[in-house]
Amino acid sequence: MTRFNPPALEIQDVDSFYGELQVLRKASLRLQQREVVVLFGPNGHGKSTLLKAIAGIHPAAAGSIRYLGEEISRTPSAQIVEMGVAYIPEARNLFTDMTVGENLRLGAYNRRARSQVAQNLAYVFDLFPRLAERRDQIAATLSGGESRMLAVGRGLMSGAALLLIDEPSIGLSPIMKRAVFGAIAKIKSARDIAVLMVEQEVEHPLRLADRVYLLKKGRVILEKPAAEINKAEIEQAYF
Amino acid sequence: MNIKEIINTLVSGLISGSLYAIMALGLTIIYGVIHVFNFGHGIVAVLGGYFTWLFLTKLGLGLIPSILLALVFMFFFGLLLFKATINPLLKTPNWEFSTIIFLLGMGILLENLALQAFGPRVKHIPAFFEGSLKIGFVRVNWHEISLIGIVLVFILILNFFLKKTWFGQAMRAVAQDMDGARIVGISITRIFGYAFAMATMVTGFSGILLGTKYYMTPHIGWDWMVKGFVIVVLGGLGSATGAVYAAFIMGIAEALATLYLGSLWVWPIWFLIFVTILLLRPQGLAGGRTL
Ligand SMILES: Nc1ncnc2c1ncn2[C@@H]1O[C@H](COP(=O)(O)OP(=O)(O)OP(=O)(O)O)[C@@H](O)[C@H]1O
Ligand SMILES: [Mg+2]
Repeated sequence: MTRFNPPALEIQDVDSFYGELQVLRKASLRLQQREVVVLFGPNGHGKSTLLKAIAGIHPAAAGSIRYLGEEISRTPSAQIVEMGVAYIPEARNLFTDMTVGENLRLGAYNRRARSQVAQNLAYVFDLFPRLAERRDQIAATLSGGESRMLAVGRGLMSGAALLLIDEPSIGLSPIMKRAVFGAIAKIKSARDIAVLMVEQEVEHPLRLADRVYLLKKGRVILEKPAAEINKAEIEQAYF
Repeated sequence: MNIKEIINTLVSGLISGSLYAIMALGLTIIYGVIHVFNFGHGIVAVLGGYFTWLFLTKLGLGLIPSILLALVFMFFFGLLLFKATINPLLKTPNWEFSTIIFLLGMGILLENLALQAFGPRVKHIPAFFEGSLKIGFVRVNWHEISLIGIVLVFILILNFFLKKTWFGQAMRAVAQDMDGARIVGISITRIFGYAFAMATMVTGFSGILLGTKYYMTPHIGWDWMVKGFVIVVLGGLGSATGAVYAAFIMGIAEALATLYLGSLWVWPIWFLIFVTILLLRPQGLAGGRTL
């Protein structure tokens, strides 16, 4: 540990490219430990790319990413998971030919989490009773909402201290949305965990979040406490 | 046609089917995990047999120690081959295509090295057991019974390994969703490496078993590879269960074709079945399923 109480996440001037296309331009943000932060922004402006850079799935080309004070921008993704960062992608990336139980267990693949499979499994089943009922069902046959729950559950199995969630509510019915956000609210209150969530939907996340960032054209253009911003203001900033 | 002939044919189909099953599993592991077809498959099988023969005749080891040593050897050979050649290729764009072509080239190279080292003459590996079992009018060699037994035990072990160990589950995870595997903290290149090494060992083992029942030359590997190719495609590329079913179907088809039409008909019948099933079910028997 480099500092006494380092931020959970500190991103400075991150650039990221896909081939020639530059998507992130000196993006910077920061999360305190146990903080819930929502990242808003128009489609295609680099929100998912930022999460992929943090998780090491698509590493940043330049800039610094520090997790609990440690530089991770060049660290392989497997090691980042081991350090306690869980990434829940918008695409879910479930293991479709495996059961719900097998998917969850694999969430605890990293060495640190293996000894806690039973506890974390109980925690996830408590959070999403639906997953417990479908434990032996093949993941490919889950409904959209259920597979979203499974993706979140698998992320929680890693025993993370920082959760990166990409659009957990996309494509869900209002009831499913409430279930997923309800679970995130529970995670927030019960666990020693910081959450960085990307969302399109505004109302639910605003109620959950401590702070809000806005990302536009690859730059972070606005930062505010969630209590001091409203839906209209966010949507206005999109244009 | 009589009942005796049919039963004898089915038994012989089961025997070759089990050998084809284990051979196709090596190919399936590589295809399932790395998503490339190993055109060096046949010669890898032959090498397993040749190394066993070498340890047996030149080092004077017993049959079982020779086989075990050959298996260890094949595992590290596969690992080394992966680290030295395929791993660097993975970092290049279009790696799938380069890897396939590389494996084909490597197959031809190894075949000719084996030809230089061992000569073109036919070689055998001795049977595990002498004598035969007679039940009614059916007579089967103990050796052939042991081959079926070995393959069935092997399939059970492989299934346990894939379903119940962290490493096996990680292999399946990589096979099913590579990004998903990265996300849970699996190192893709590490799994690729060990999957390749494991498949090389399994393929070498299949060559050893084939060498006890049939014969080996440096060139026979291409025949084995084409058979392996038909079986894995028929089974549904990358599905272990499908490959096993397909292997038994083809083994029995081969035995029936030999009995009623003569052994020259084996290849035409194989391809007839192959084309027919793929026309009816292009995804293969277990199509869409992964490792
Ligand atoms: N793998 C990729 N290869 C090439 N371009 C990509 C790739 N992934 C994303 N992009 C491009 O990068 C830009 C930013 O994408 P990103 O997914 O980060 O946007 P986003 O802010 O998450 O959008 P959305 O709200 O629609 O999810 C887009 O223009 C997209 O087309
Ligand atoms: Mg996105």
